Amino acid sequence: MSDEAQLVSKVLVLDNSPECFKQIKQFCDQNGLIGLKVNSVNVMAVLSTYVDLGAILLSENYHESLADTLDLAQQIHTARPELPIVLRRISTPDLDDLSEKQRKLFCSAYTIDDMSPLRKVIDEYIFSLVYPNALVRGISELTVNTLETLSTLENRFKSLKVITETPYIVRDRIIFGEVCSLIPLESSWCRGYMMLQTEEGGILDVLGYTELTGDGDPATFRTVNNILGELTNLLWGAFKTHFIAVDDPGTQYTSEVPLVINHQHKYISFGSENPQLCFKYILTDENNSHFIPIYQWFVFNLYWSPEDFKEIYASVDDFVDSGELELF
Amino acid sequence: MAKILLVDDSSTVRDEVGGFLKKNGLDVITAVDGKDGLNKLKADPGIKLVVSDVNMPNMDGLTMVEKIRSELGNSTVNVIMLTTENNPSMKERGKAAGVKGWIVKPFKGESVVETFKKLSA
Repeated sequence: MSDEAQLVSKVLVLDNSPECFKQIKQFCDQNGLIGLKVNSVNVMAVLSTYVDLGAILLSENYHESLADTLDLAQQIHTARPELPIVLRRISTPDLDDLSEKQRKLFCSAYTIDDMSPLRKVIDEYIFSLVYPNALVRGISELTVNTLETLSTLENRFKSLKVITETPYIVRDRIIFGEVCSLIPLESSWCRGYMMLQTEEGGILDVLGYTELTGDGDPATFRTVNNILGELTNLLWGAFKTHFIAVDDPGTQYTSEVPLVINHQHKYISFGSENPQLCFKYILTDENNSHFIPIYQWFVFNLYWSPEDFKEIYASVDDFVDSGELELF
Repeated sequence: MAKILLVDDSSTVRDEVGGFLKKNGLDVITAVDGKDGLNKLKADPGIKLVVSDVNMPNMDGLTMVEKIRSELGNSTVNVIMLTTENNPSMKERGKAAGVKGWIVKPFKGESVVETFKKLSA
């Protein structure tokens, strides 16, 4: 099996102590976390909009009284129950002095002098699934290659440049943007979905709204849907070519779980607590300031066996280049 | 004019590929899946080339090709698959059904348009 990929995850750090924040930041740097600070008056507003978080690190003295901090923890838990909240304690290392109801708000506690419980939480809740390096690197490469071929899919995308961000892990279930696609992925080592999310406005900006499609119709949300659908199809094909062997027998596990999508709250549940592997790409139009963000999630909610993962090293003779006609 | 049947469930592909082929002087009819493609081919004997996706709802592209040969008894129409699939066993199935060629998407029109013209003549 390939080495485990070095992934990152974003955590919201709600801590007012500059000294402690420095140490927490150091901990984050050493453990693949990106600590995000937010003004205390904006916490709930940020949580209602911010996508791709892994956890919340909350200090018990974040507000003036512990009661107020616990009240904030309750609000966070109500708004985003999928996000683990870790409480930094001042005088005690555990949650024993809290009521049972209060304890349930937190997955663990730590002190600034002993951050080992925090490390355990990170391993258990965020980096709990192993993602082989070859898979993470390969997905990123094949996606960039595919995005670069958008110029052949849509003539209007000719001057787009693709920027890739560091892959990361999320636990939250907030859907980014305005349009998303889902396609199943099945093999002997995985069962789940690939989800692409993007903004309708970004694609329409790049298309220029009034650019002509087909027989002269202006670009609309249906144009966006169709482009995202075809991009999903291209990526699905490339994923299968690179990672699923021709003779892959599939998995013996055939269970299904319902997916729940709540449009009101831009929320999706895949019926599993597993953290999700995410990639973000930004397509920028070199001729102007327009850009298209694309979030790509891999959710192996039904089966995940990374030890059985194999990258397909196809013989050069096996495949012709995409777009080329192979005559029989 | 040479007539081509383009079968793909993606309207983006139908617009882009169909538009490109039309610009290059080919007469293009489109179908949204294998079932639709089979009906359109049956209704128009002028079609000389079928360019088809593989993964489609209702009827996939390879099943459509097999039915073109068996149910329609049409052994002369040329068929090229245009698909994201790069699976050798699928290609073997296509070959066995009389598929003439295979293109892995995305479509790069300039490199194949002359061959399309020859196959649809």
